[in-house]
Amino acid sequence: MAHATLTPTSEVKAPGPARRSRRHRGESLTKVLFVLPAALAMLALFGYPVVKNLLMSLQDYGLRTFFTGQAPWVGLQNYTAVVKDKLFSDAMVNTALFTIGSIVFQFAIGLGLALFFHRRFPLSGVLRSLLLLPWLLPLIVSSATWRSILEQDSGILNRTLMGLHLVDDPVPWLNSPSVALIAVIGVNIWIGIPFNVTLLYSGLAEIPDELYEAGQLDGATGWRSFWYITWPNLRAVASVLLMLGVVYTIKVLDIILGLTGGGPANATQTLATQSYEKSFIDFKFGQGAALSNILIAISFLFAIFYLRSTRRAIDE
Amino acid sequence: MISKRIAAGLAGATALSLVLAACGDNGGGSSSSSGTTVSSLSVLDYYNNDPDKSLVQKGLDSCASQLGITIKRETVPGDTLIQKVLQQASSKTLPDVLMLDNPDVQQIAATGALAPLNDMGLNGDGVIKGMVDATSYDGKLYGLAPVTNTIALFYNKDMLAEAGVQPPKTWDELKAAAKKLTKPGRYGMAFNANATYEGSWQFLPAMWTNGGDETDLTSPQVAEALQLWVDLVKSGSASKSVINWTQGDVNDQFIAGKAAMMVNGPWQIPSLNKNPKVKWDVVQFPVNKVGQTPVAPLGGEAWTVPLNKDQAKQQKAADFVKCLNSDENELAWAKARFTLPTKTALLDQYVTEVPSMKAFGEQVVNARARTGKLGDKWPEAAKVIYQAIQLALTGKASAQDAFKQASGG
Amino acid sequence: MTDSTIRRAVYTVIGVLILAVMLFPVYWMVNASLQPSGNTLTAGFLPLHPTFAGYKRALSEQGDNLVTSMIIAAGTVVLSLAIATPCAYALSQFRSRWVSVGLLAILISQMIPGIVIANALYTAYERIGLLNSIPGLIVANCSSGIPFAILILRSFMLSLPPSLVEAARVDGAGLFRAFVAIVLPISKNSLITAGLFSFLFSWSDFLFALTLTTKGGVRPVTLGIYQYLGTQVQNWNAVMATAVLSAIPAIVLLVAAQKYIAAGAIGGAVK
Repeated sequence: MAHATLTPTSEVKAPGPARRSRRHRGESLTKVLFVLPAALAMLALFGYPVVKNLLMSLQDYGLRTFFTGQAPWVGLQNYTAVVKDKLFSDAMVNTALFTIGSIVFQFAIGLGLALFFHRRFPLSGVLRSLLLLPWLLPLIVSSATWRSILEQDSGILNRTLMGLHLVDDPVPWLNSPSVALIAVIGVNIWIGIPFNVTLLYSGLAEIPDELYEAGQLDGATGWRSFWYITWPNLRAVASVLLMLGVVYTIKVLDIILGLTGGGPANATQTLATQSYEKSFIDFKFGQGAALSNILIAISFLFAIFYLRSTRRAIDE
Repeated sequence: MISKRIAAGLAGATALSLVLAACGDNGGGSSSSSGTTVSSLSVLDYYNNDPDKSLVQKGLDSCASQLGITIKRETVPGDTLIQKVLQQASSKTLPDVLMLDNPDVQQIAATGALAPLNDMGLNGDGVIKGMVDATSYDGKLYGLAPVTNTIALFYNKDMLAEAGVQPPKTWDELKAAAKKLTKPGRYGMAFNANATYEGSWQFLPAMWTNGGDETDLTSPQVAEALQLWVDLVKSGSASKSVINWTQGDVNDQFIAGKAAMMVNGPWQIPSLNKNPKVKWDVVQFPVNKVGQTPVAPLGGEAWTVPLNKDQAKQQKAADFVKCLNSDENELAWAKARFTLPTKTALLDQYVTEVPSMKAFGEQVVNARARTGKLGDKWPEAAKVIYQAIQLALTGKASAQDAFKQASGG
Repeated sequence: MTDSTIRRAVYTVIGVLILAVMLFPVYWMVNASLQPSGNTLTAGFLPLHPTFAGYKRALSEQGDNLVTSMIIAAGTVVLSLAIATPCAYALSQFRSRWVSVGLLAILISQMIPGIVIANALYTAYERIGLLNSIPGLIVANCSSGIPFAILILRSFMLSLPPSLVEAARVDGAGLFRAFVAIVLPISKNSLITAGLFSFLFSWSDFLFALTLTTKGGVRPVTLGIYQYLGTQVQNWNAVMATAVLSAIPAIVLLVAAQKYIAAGAIGGAVK
């Protein structure tokens, strides 16, 4: 939406002396045409859905609406209803655990792997691009495969663990409320590692070698070189990565639905799965819309927080 | 929409099909006088996979040719049907003939989208009461189902013989048998207790047989039924994975020899028959106390007629539904894919012709419709049921407290 | 021979091991697809009696769906790039404080759950008749392709010196012609990267396929797999074979375009 207003002002602000105004005007028009298709596309694909969702969250939009076309306005009732729901606080906690757990490990493992692949060795390029695979497989495929791997009685993971005598009893990966969230987070970490490796690797690649050479003279090697040279130079990439991680992870739906459907005993319900369930199982589309708006709002607050803190960092 | 487990449930609970010849000459569809100008009907159903898809097509074609019309049929995946219906309803493009899973009929009828069939010369005479309950709303009939199904207890004959166990008749026997049949790599019992309507459906035989009722889920009878599930899992006679299994998964376990008994429906028989090494039989679901009658839920799809401004077309659609529900058609559909005719008069004849359906034939007579008591409020109760099962089986609540907790109390 | 050669060989071995762990689920998929029919319940580590029955079945039943997915993904690439490239150029070269607003809008767009977009598109599509159509799915999939392509392309174009275009302008070329004649050829690598990711996003889309098609006619392969999962639990090998087939484009593109997936192209995108 903000995007749409991008064009008129770029006209005003466009560089070039005022005396070339004739050519300038034609050029401004061209410039507008450069962004116009994208602006329209963004409006149609994002602006329109968000507005529609906002409206829907203020309406009693249910099964009957589809037949009668009537969706009475109910103010904030949908919001109070979903917040009062007994599962709401569980879903909030699970969303937080899921998001934080996924991001911390994706980042840590991603950083480790990026550092490793940063050392040049034969095949490192091929291996690194193959590492992207988990990210690019259709999610429906990944979750079906993981479900069969994690099956308690005959899944290959438990069979292996028991064969190696690492555990005595099969681990109830997806069957126990206390383990299922961990398993789901684990699968999501697996999916997210490639993205983290790729971004962090590129961050590493941009750190000039001279810095390390200079550091070596000062005795900064190994951990010290990481702490004093690598990390400070990686911070910009890392903070973008973490912010994007939150934005992407908080809305994850397919993986959870594919693995546990929110169960067992609602142990893996998040805001996203709840929103889905309200809309498509209970047919309370108004409440489902309210939940997804809450989700967007949280994500948005986080992004604002991030932007402000990076701006402060730049100001310093 | 996304939950494939619901899809599996619906697709599984569907399993019916047709035989062309049987829907033959005297198919009973007495064409009404009015619809002479109607030349084609649109049909929507969820038999989107073969062999069902083509078998149903043959049956539909047969009725179409009897009525002298052509049909335009559309099939969608099972779990997207309701969504499709909603979408079509909002754009006023509902088909002339609509197939609905029986527990959905009242919910859709409640929105005023369907035409009452009584006014168009159809009735539910001779049809098992449970099915008429399911397809009626506010005293009017909105759909007719040619065939139905239910669930009962399958057992592996070899395993039971080897362990010297008789097919259980009571819950105590069931628990004892399940325990005795359990050994490394094999569970005595398998059922589906997942967090979908399918999980509720599998729980109903225990709940209803014991006198439990969806109008009062906190009753001791319901808790006792839940305790049965809990005991089976706690004692290790059933896998802890039951909370994630679909009915298809349960069947997989049974076929793979990893379960000696299972709760399942007759639509699994074709795949069981593909594995001749597995010798199986079926009995009614056991009772808690001697003297109780096993009561199981009714499955199966009803054909309905959405309201249509074109009266002639609407009447033709009703005639079409009538043809689909003729005696000959019911028997043919039932035989083709191991389902049961919905007319009680046909049941005896059917069971003598298809002996493997004997237990289901007995079970279906007393079977109840899920929406029989609560009507379009059933989905809410069903949700409480599957959530309570999940709470109890994962140890988050006792069987006594689970229903109270699940209903938010 | 030398110390460093040995060390590098050791690194390669470790790298392969890491990859083996990370890609185990992919292997498991292949393994399951080669098991004789029945189920995966008893599958061993190796397909000792491999059968291609699953593939045969998958190809005969899902072959059309694979083609549909291919067409949709290719269309998404073309449309996404056509829309994103000029915009990326504008966001990188035109000086305006609205640039940051535009970038913020792109960031916000990433926060919107796909299901919200799908729901809104459904009603809109119904009105304009794009349901059950390949163009409809192409447009929907552009919602993931366009923002991502803008970011990737912009990050590359930021490094283009303005003088490059200015020189052409002096010769009288219009802004657009200069863009086509100079900027596009020079951006080839990042265009390929952006296109590649648009392709893969679109290829793996499931949500739009599920919500925006209601008939059997247009059915991408992810939807095909989904229907298998619902109704064919007996035929895990066919399900997994379809999954493997659907993963092949990802693998082929990754390996083939490896040199284009210049780390910088993706890495810089989010700065």
